Amino acid sequence: MSEKIIVCRCEDVTLAEVQHAIELAYTTVEEVKRLTGLGTGPCQGKECQAHVARLLEHAGIAPEALRPFTARPPFAPTPLRLFAGVTVAAPDAAPVAPKAPPRRGGA
Amino acid sequence: MTAPHDDKIEFTLDGRKLRASPGQPLTSALFANDTWIIGRSVKYHRPRAPFCLAGSCGACLVRIDGRPNLRACTTPVVAGMRVERQNAYPSAALDVFGATDFFFPHGMDHHTFFTSAPRPVHAVMQKIARQLAGLGRLPDERAVEIPPARARRVTLVVVGGGPAGLAAAAAAARAGREVLLLEQASVAGGSLLADPRDGPTRAARLMADARSAGVEIVTGATVLAYYPEDRATEADPPGLLAVATADGIVLVSAERFVYATGSYDQNALFPDNDRPGIVSARALGRLLVTERAVPGKRPAVLGQGPYARALGDALAAHGADVTRIDGIDEQIVGTLGHKRLRAIEVASRAEPDRRPRRVPCDLLAVAALPAPATELPREHGCAVRWEASLGGFHVTTYADGRSSVPGVYAVGDVAGFLGTDAAEQAGARVGRSAAR
Repeated sequence: MSEKIIVCRCEDVTLAEVQHAIELAYTTVEEVKRLTGLGTGPCQGKECQAHVARLLEHAGIAPEALRPFTARPPFAPTPLRLFAGVTVAAPDAAPVAPKAPPRRGGA
Repeated sequence: MTAPHDDKIEFTLDGRKLRASPGQPLTSALFANDTWIIGRSVKYHRPRAPFCLAGSCGACLVRIDGRPNLRACTTPVVAGMRVERQNAYPSAALDVFGATDFFFPHGMDHHTFFTSAPRPVHAVMQKIARQLAGLGRLPDERAVEIPPARARRVTLVVVGGGPAGLAAAAAAARAGREVLLLEQASVAGGSLLADPRDGPTRAARLMADARSAGVEIVTGATVLAYYPEDRATEADPPGLLAVATADGIVLVSAERFVYATGSYDQNALFPDNDRPGIVSARALGRLLVTERAVPGKRPAVLGQGPYARALGDALAAHGADVTRIDGIDEQIVGTLGHKRLRAIEVASRAEPDRRPRRVPCDLLAVAALPAPATELPREHGCAVRWEASLGGFHVTTYADGRSSVPGVYAVGDVAGFLGTDAAEQAGARVGRSAAR
């Protein structure tokens, strides 16, 4: 292996890459995520998000300015067939306006 | 704790027959067969090996019986199980694409990879990159059985069955509430089951206490999401938890939510910190407590603080020759080994000019401050705050565990790393308040 310090194991993002992003003046966890791709793998940032925030704090970002990136479900790898079995009630009691039937041969 | 296993079963790893004890976690079965590499990383094809053994990191995904991306650490071995390592060619132990790692010693930005090259070159590189990257192939067979989701309505739901969650659930139930506790692992106890001091005894006591208080404990239940607008039926208030169980998804609505989701194990940042054999301290603690096994001859513990000390002591009591690196006066500056860790290089702060000493070591337990597991409360709208000394972003709470969202509580490590003792005490307090 070539010597690397791995920050995000899922997406192979190194400390050097995160530091480079911070040098380029990316100052939020979200921006560093978008630039490097960290936090986008199977664990969804469970292992790397705190490291990035800590590095940003060391670079001089005020702790109260640090925000986590958006948590997006599902929070664990899940077979899609489980979701295929889900039905939920309509979001509110108001009747849903029926869609106009598609016109045959229409644009 | 675990009975000696004499009747071994057989399973296959990439077609090779291996033996295991029935019901043993797949990761433990692989360790027992001296196999650490469990796949290759997506970009540099570096060897990947189990790290947290708790179903939170992404390091142990394998293909099992033709189904991709399943966690080896939470999958019990059954006879005839067909395990394949992913993302490796021709094999996980010798992956030719591992060369990627050497070609890009300083990392590569795959987002802009060859985008400035002439279009035909770019097209070819895209094809190669798609072969290099990726996570597993589609399942061998399409899913035939779609388990229908079930709906469940309770007064109070507790997510997480560690010390904080068990104590909170018991207290809320004693105060007269109907309480459902959801635990992801197959056994409740959480980080107590990784605590070699008196963890298992305390876990058993807390579980018995919760059950006698009338708490319904459901294990093997992973909460995947909180959906604020959805309702299982017209009669339910909006807002439900989607919970994956062995029999399909359960949609849980509740009046009160107590998040006791704990914390995620973190690695430390040192060169080649992803070498097979480098695990979290609680991973090794869990193996020691639940299986009385140490998958190595020369373990080392990195870190300071009570848990690192307790783990080091427990390893020594188990008969292991333990090296302790505090991470402050002594730092790890390199690791060696291919199929698994062989040695660590340790530098002393007092003598920065001296060459690092090489310590033979085949297992390294990293006791870094765990990070609060805040995804669910964040999705529920709970405010979080960054505090490095508490492990990271944590849910902000009042003394009684209330979060910024009415009816939603957070307790234990999710509200800032506490450790097991303080988490249990906080759990009892917050459970009473959530029941009010």
